[in-house]
Amino acid sequence: MTEAKEITIPVADPNDPYANPAAMPSSADRNPRSFEVGAFPEPNRKQEDWRYTPVERISEFFNVFTPSSETRIEVGMIDGSALAEGLALSQVKLGEGLSGTVSEPSDRAAAVEWNSGATATVLELKGEIDQPVLVKVHGAGMDLDAFHLVIAAADDTHADVVVEHDGDARLAEGVEIVTGKHSNVSTTFIQEWNAGSKHVGNHRIHVGEGASLRHSVVTLGGDVVRIRMDQDFGGEQGDLNMLGIYFVDPGEHIEHRTMVVHNHPECKSRVVYKGALDGKGAHSTWVGNALIEPTASGTDSYELNRNLVLTPGAIADSEPNLEIENGNIIGAGHASSVGRFDDEELFYLQSRGISETEARKLVVRGFFNELVEEIGIPAICDHLMDVIDKRLARGESDAMAQVLEEQ
Amino acid sequence: MSTLEIKNLYAHVETKDGIKPILKGVNLTVNSDETHAIMGPNGSGKSTLAYTLAGHPKYVVDEGEVLLDGEDILKMTPDERAKAGLFLAMQYPVEVPGVSMTNFLRTAKTEVDGKAPAIRTWAKELSEAMKRLKMDPKFATRSVNEGFSGGEKKRAEVLQLELLKPKFAILDETDSGLDVDALRIVSEGVNRAKEANKFGILMVTHYTRILKYIKPDIVHVFADGHFVKTGGPELADELEENGYDQYLPEGADSESALA
Repeated sequence: MTEAKEITIPVADPNDPYANPAAMPSSADRNPRSFEVGAFPEPNRKQEDWRYTPVERISEFFNVFTPSSETRIEVGMIDGSALAEGLALSQVKLGEGLSGTVSEPSDRAAAVEWNSGATATVLELKGEIDQPVLVKVHGAGMDLDAFHLVIAAADDTHADVVVEHDGDARLAEGVEIVTGKHSNVSTTFIQEWNAGSKHVGNHRIHVGEGASLRHSVVTLGGDVVRIRMDQDFGGEQGDLNMLGIYFVDPGEHIEHRTMVVHNHPECKSRVVYKGALDGKGAHSTWVGNALIEPTASGTDSYELNRNLVLTPGAIADSEPNLEIENGNIIGAGHASSVGRFDDEELFYLQSRGISETEARKLVVRGFFNELVEEIGIPAICDHLMDVIDKRLARGESDAMAQVLEEQ
Repeated sequence: MSTLEIKNLYAHVETKDGIKPILKGVNLTVNSDETHAIMGPNGSGKSTLAYTLAGHPKYVVDEGEVLLDGEDILKMTPDERAKAGLFLAMQYPVEVPGVSMTNFLRTAKTEVDGKAPAIRTWAKELSEAMKRLKMDPKFATRSVNEGFSGGEKKRAEVLQLELLKPKFAILDETDSGLDVDALRIVSEGVNRAKEANKFGILMVTHYTRILKYIKPDIVHVFADGHFVKTGGPELADELEENGYDQYLPEGADSESALA
């Protein structure tokens, strides 16, 4: 759109608030944003933001602690080489430099992370970076630790960042992502924690004017993983694409909350999260909020969550929320489903000689592959499918493992 | 030389109105290199016979046996039946999102043969078979049957028939939904596969037009859950002329036969 247009923000009439719904308080007005722990009450399941979370299993993340500093961080290119030109890595005190510049914590756990940690790892990206940067976050023990990462892309940057988590950990993590004007950036966060690990994270994301950000989250392991993502735009024509994949084993709680805010005109957002749940007590939660503010004419937003329940006894909570305060938009769609295997798909594969077990694996692989292919960066797609195949290959026959590897 | 013997087969489905018997004493013997056409009115149980042989969980066998070279396949899971040499080309092939045709075919071939096919010869075999069926090479990278037209799905079924080399192929209304050109290409594919591998064919169809391309040795009329008449290719012409009315059971409520 080149045509200049006038935006009028409606004002509520105190005598008749319903005459003008756009000026009613939104979740953004109701929910505090603060670096102070005291701004947020101790979480309990009566609070909307925590209603699906087993808060008793992560209560250690609700009060300021002394971090163990056992978590090991390595940053390099994905092929193992040293950082390419255009990349700068630094450590700053929390609150200095670029840290703490993207919005403010949106819940108690995020404020605790901020107040418990001491430093931030800052990764600055500038120019055309050919291959993905890999940030390895390795948990070296179950002592409570905090990690704060800032990813800042300058204007016009093209770059991809992969953040991998593995090992044993109880980690409070804060991530800030800020992208400059007309940049084109992807960030991929992989959680492959060992059994028993806990990870409570908060991503604060600011997408620059005319910029495109692909934000992917892949969570394949951990006793409790809860990642909340708060995002907004820095100007018109921003494009946000959030993808999520999760695989929940018995007894695990894996939770993703995507909070997309359209605060500028002509921006686009897509949120697609898909998960598979396996076994008794496997619990996934996806809550997708999309808030379209009165200022965000021409918004195009869509969010989707699909859950595949592999075996009985798993629970998937899926909750899309839309708050639309501007009627002049292209779209604000949502879809959500929880289902089991399609018997006809399984029969078709079986009728071609593929055993039921292998057929189930193929269907699950396909369920995720559809989404992974969307990422469109071969190095990252291959890496993700490797990770998913490894998860599916548990107990795989040798011959079939070979076939899967050759794909 | 292989034999498929269906002996006194009874099967039912469970509907919300209770148990509904569909197959009522099916008897048939098919040998390698024979082509049997199974014709009959809608709702007579032809497709049920096809799916029951392949082991679809919806159909419950009450009685009888189906011997493939003496082994009762009714005791096998669907994948074991495929490995034993049975292939069902479906009327409505199922879409499997996110699983590429290449991956699917290679996985199926590995399972049916008990070993992974040699990479180089396999790729060549696949691309040549696709070329003969006039399939766009890009189908190999697409998800199984996803976004395929009706005709493309049927070609993909015949492609699998050529690659998996079964002992017996059941073609369930493979001719439905095909235009004249597609019918010819698909039929030629079946004939080519049969020429190469000498399998037996059970071809379920309503219409005689596919029989112009795939010549049956034996034609059966199937009505009310069992075979009621068997003859040579001339029987198909007679059916084309006179329809199936005379084969509907005496005094039967034609509604139930058509249900």
